Parts: sequence; structure tokens; C-alpha cells
Amino acid sequence: MNGVLVVLEAVGDDLAAISRELLGKGRQLADALGGSLAALAIGPTKAIAARAGNFGADQIYTVDAPALRQYTTDGYVAAALAAVKAFHPTLILAGTSFQMRDFGAALATDLGAGLVVDATDIQVVDGAIQATRPSHGGNVINTYRFATGTPVVALVRKQSFPEAVAQPDRSAPITELTVAELTPRTEVLSVAPKAGAVNLTDAAIIVTGGRGLGNKENYYRLIPPLAEALGGAYGASRAIVDDGWVPYEHQVGQTGKTVSPKLYIAAGVSGAIQHLAGMRTSRTIVAINKDPEAPIFRIATLGVVGDVNEILPLLTEEIKARLNR
Amino acid sequence: MHIVVCLKQVPRDNSVKIRPDLTIDAEGIEKIINLFDEYALEEGIRWNEQHGGKVTALSIGTSDWVEQLRRALAMGATDALLLSDPAFTQLDPIAAARVAAAAIRKLGDVDLVITGRNSTDDESGAFAPALARLLGWPQVTYVGKVLELQPGGILKVERHLESVIETVACRLPAVMSVIKDINEPRYPSLLKIKRVAKVEPPVWTAADLGLSTADLTPTAQLVERVPPPPRPKGEIIDGPDAATKVRKLVDKLLEYQVI
Repeated sequence: MNGVLVVLEAVGDDLAAISRELLGKGRQLADALGGSLAALAIGPTKAIAARAGNFGADQIYTVDAPALRQYTTDGYVAAALAAVKAFHPTLILAGTSFQMRDFGAALATDLGAGLVVDATDIQVVDGAIQATRPSHGGNVINTYRFATGTPVVALVRKQSFPEAVAQPDRSAPITELTVAELTPRTEVLSVAPKAGAVNLTDAAIIVTGGRGLGNKENYYRLIPPLAEALGGAYGASRAIVDDGWVPYEHQVGQTGKTVSPKLYIAAGVSGAIQHLAGMRTSRTIVAINKDPEAPIFRIATLGVVGDVNEILPLLTEEIKARLNR
Repeated sequence: MHIVVCLKQVPRDNSVKIRPDLTIDAEGIEKIINLFDEYALEEGIRWNEQHGGKVTALSIGTSDWVEQLRRALAMGATDALLLSDPAFTQLDPIAAARVAAAAIRKLGDVDLVITGRNSTDDESGAFAPALARLLGWPQVTYVGKVLELQPGGILKVERHLESVIETVACRLPAVMSVIKDINEPRYPSLLKIKRVAKVEPPVWTAADLGLSTADLTPTAQLVERVPPPPRPKGEIIDGPDAATKVRKLVDKLLEYQVI
């Protein structure tokens, strides 16, 4: 076996941030394994494949076919299997999106490979791959050691590793691979942007409201404006999603989204264990709540005890003034 | 039409402890059907009400999981099946899929498998894709709406991804995983709960399913399991009035370079 294969993702006409993270970490792991670093571009991602060379890949594979224009499990797994056949990777790295979860688990099953989903760390220890992943809403951190001799598919949580630094002079050879007679059994009939889509998972700043706001009107009067002043997204606790104040799309927690922004402001959120599960790895957590005993204060970096209805308008104004917005 | 719904029993919340042998201690926490699986069950029951046939609630676990299977029957599942064997205690998601796939093959007449997008304890979402590949069936995951389901024919769904909605079609048999938005699960009536209280679902073991130890061995060995590192001790921002507190808070946020 041969090193590390990174499955590339594109955002517009550039490599996705997660791909730069994976190329950075992949380089390090390939060196530790004594192998090389390859990148795989499937379908339209081919357009940015060459960029992987700037970010550390030694070899680039592309697989393109009309059936790969859109994601299908069958299409992407077939493309990945072609690259596995060409490169024989010890470790296959991809990000942890819904689509990559669909893909990674299918690929690992077909390969009889090891699988880790939502990895936050990967190491080579005595020649074996070791991966760390949280479970139980982040209350349990598990480290697994994989048997050598079988490949491992690792889906990595975003923002787990620093992004590779571009080396403009560096490049890597590109090999085009083909897949024979590709007829995916699922047919994508349309792809539509989600109305009012919020990609909370990618937001650097999130302002979340909870029942402490009192009612739906207060939520919309106070939370989105603060999020906007900060250039962030707005979230909601399960309680107020279940009460119909805010769409499910915004829910942070065990049964909603898991987020890890650099700043997380929880306003009028008590901090139920299932909420903490979705945000406890945020870098800086600010809690604003009138109950000084609220569990949210136990994990907060900064706490303000007070009425959210009084504090939030002041905070929005102060931030606008200080950031000149 | 025969729909199988795969259910996992999970602790109601994740305030679990870790035993010295690294197994999870969920002692004292109520056990429930994994939330996403409850939506899967509701979806299966609704389509069964429309098309007739069977909807089988299937679970892998010890005998106390029968409790959740009975709840599934009270909600409207027509059949229940427990896959139970001492060899099933430490399954990883792909091995669990191998057990379920063997049972689904043994059932023989299954058109559609529905399950939740992930369990709230393991959270990998790997079970449904692994099951589909093992059965050799197409998969549609993260489904937020079923647009069409024709017995012996087509399954057409909306997949609700992070920022797009895909409309996807495939032929049955297939494996589908669902998200929370798809429906509103019903509460079983007290009468129905009483009616199924003594039902003992059939139990199939590894031997019944023709599974060997090699089929069930995890691909990785758990070497460490710890609680998350404690967060650095926080600071309560004090002041004579709200305006002062807010000013101090923004000072700190600038100092931490997070705004």
C-alpha cells in the first residue's frame, strides 16, 4: 500500500477549505507512512484538480464521465474504486458532509475497509492508523486503532486541521482514470438551493436564541440583527424549534446541527445536555441568561447574567459602533 | 409491500459514563427509540397504511430492547423482529449492517428498508449506506420527503442536504435514511400499548443468520475512550448596569480576536 488519497471537493472555482486541510494533514500522514500523497477529483471537480499540486499532492487523479456530473453513491464509489486500484492507498481522506457520509460508508463497505466518521484527529502510531472521533454528543472521545493491511476510509470533521499553505511553484502530474459502463441506480432529477438555507456548520460566528427570549417576536427582533452585525449566522435551541418559533434548519444540538464556530453566543439558552452536545467545542462561548445557575454558564468562556431583552439590543448597538458597521 | 424499519435503542440523553473496561455506562438513563428512527418508523407506517402489506420493526440488541419493539408495534408496525446474540454486543456500524442485511435477506420479500439518518449515540450515519451496499440495493440518504413510492416500482424522494435539496429516484428494493423534518411521529394510544404489552417478537441469533465471528469483528480496536477535555474556566462579566456589562463583553471579544 501506498500512502494517502484525498478526495477533493470544490467550492465555486477553488478547492474547498476542507480539501486544503486534508492535503495538509494528508502530507504529514503520508510522510509518516513512508508513502506519497495523491488527490482524487471526481466529475466537475476536475476543473480545480491541478490546485492540489500547489497544496502538497504528489499525484493527482481525475475521473470524469457524464454520469459523474452530479453526486450519486454508485458514481462516486466507482470513481474512488478506480483511484484505489491505481494508487492502493493505505488511507483515504474526505470531509464529513452529508454527501461524504453517504459516500464514505459505501466505499468502506465495498472495500472491506476500516471506517471512521467525523474524525477530529488522525495519527500514525507504530505504522498503524489511529483515529479519534467524538460520540454521544461530544461527551465521549474515542480513539481507534486500525489493523494494518486493510485500507481505512476517514471522514474528517471540518476545521480539525490547519489548511495547507499554497506553494505556487509546486505542481503534480495528473492522470485521467476511466470507469467502464457507469449507470448509477439513483437518478438525480433536480438540485435546488434550499430556501433560506443556513449553513450553520460553516459559520465562524453563531448567535443562538432560546426560550429565555420569551416569544417568537423577540427572537426575530433580537437574534438575527445581532448575528448580522457580527457577520454570523443565527441558531436556535430545540425547545423553540419544537414550539415552531424558528425552522428546524436553525436547530443546534444533538438532533440538529453540530457546530464549532470561533464565537458562539447563547442568549436565553439554559444549556440542556442535548444542546451542549451540538456546540461545546466552539472556541469562545458567550452565555447571556438571567438565571446564574443555568448549565450553559458551566461551559461558557464569558458569561453575562441579565435579561436578554435588555442586553441584546445594547450588544448589537455596541458591536455596530465598535466595528463601524 | 414489505417495509422494514431498523430501530436502535439509545439513551434519552448522552450524559453517559465510561467504565474502566471502556464500555459505555448508560445506567439510570431512560432508554428510547433513537429519535431519527422514530421518524423512519412513522414514515413506514404511513406508507403501509396506504399500500397495505407489512411493516416490520427490526432491532439488534439484548432482550430488554423488546420494550422499544413493542412501542413500534403500538405505533402501528405489523411485525417485530429482534436480532440478538452475545456476539452482537460490540458491533461497529458496518458489522451491524451485516447483521441486519442477513436478516433482511432471510425475510426474503422486503421492498424497502427505512432507518434514521444516524443514531444519537454513535452519530456516524454509516449504517444505512453500509446496509445498502451489503444488500446490493440503491440508497437514498437524508430524505426529508417521499414524493412517490410505488410497490414493485419507483421510489422518488427529496434528499435534504446542508444547502441544497436533491430530488432523486431509484427502483425498489432500496434503503432509505430519513431526517427529523420528514413527518410528525404519532403517540401510540394507551389501548394499543396495552394490547402489545405481552407480545414476544421472534429472536434470531448469529447462527440463525449464518453469521460467523469474522463477519462481526470490528475493523478497529478501541484503544482509548475519555470524556472531553474540560473547558477552561469561564469568567462572569460584572458591572453596575447592562450597558457596562455589554461594553466589557465587547472589550473581551475584541481582545480574544473573535469579532
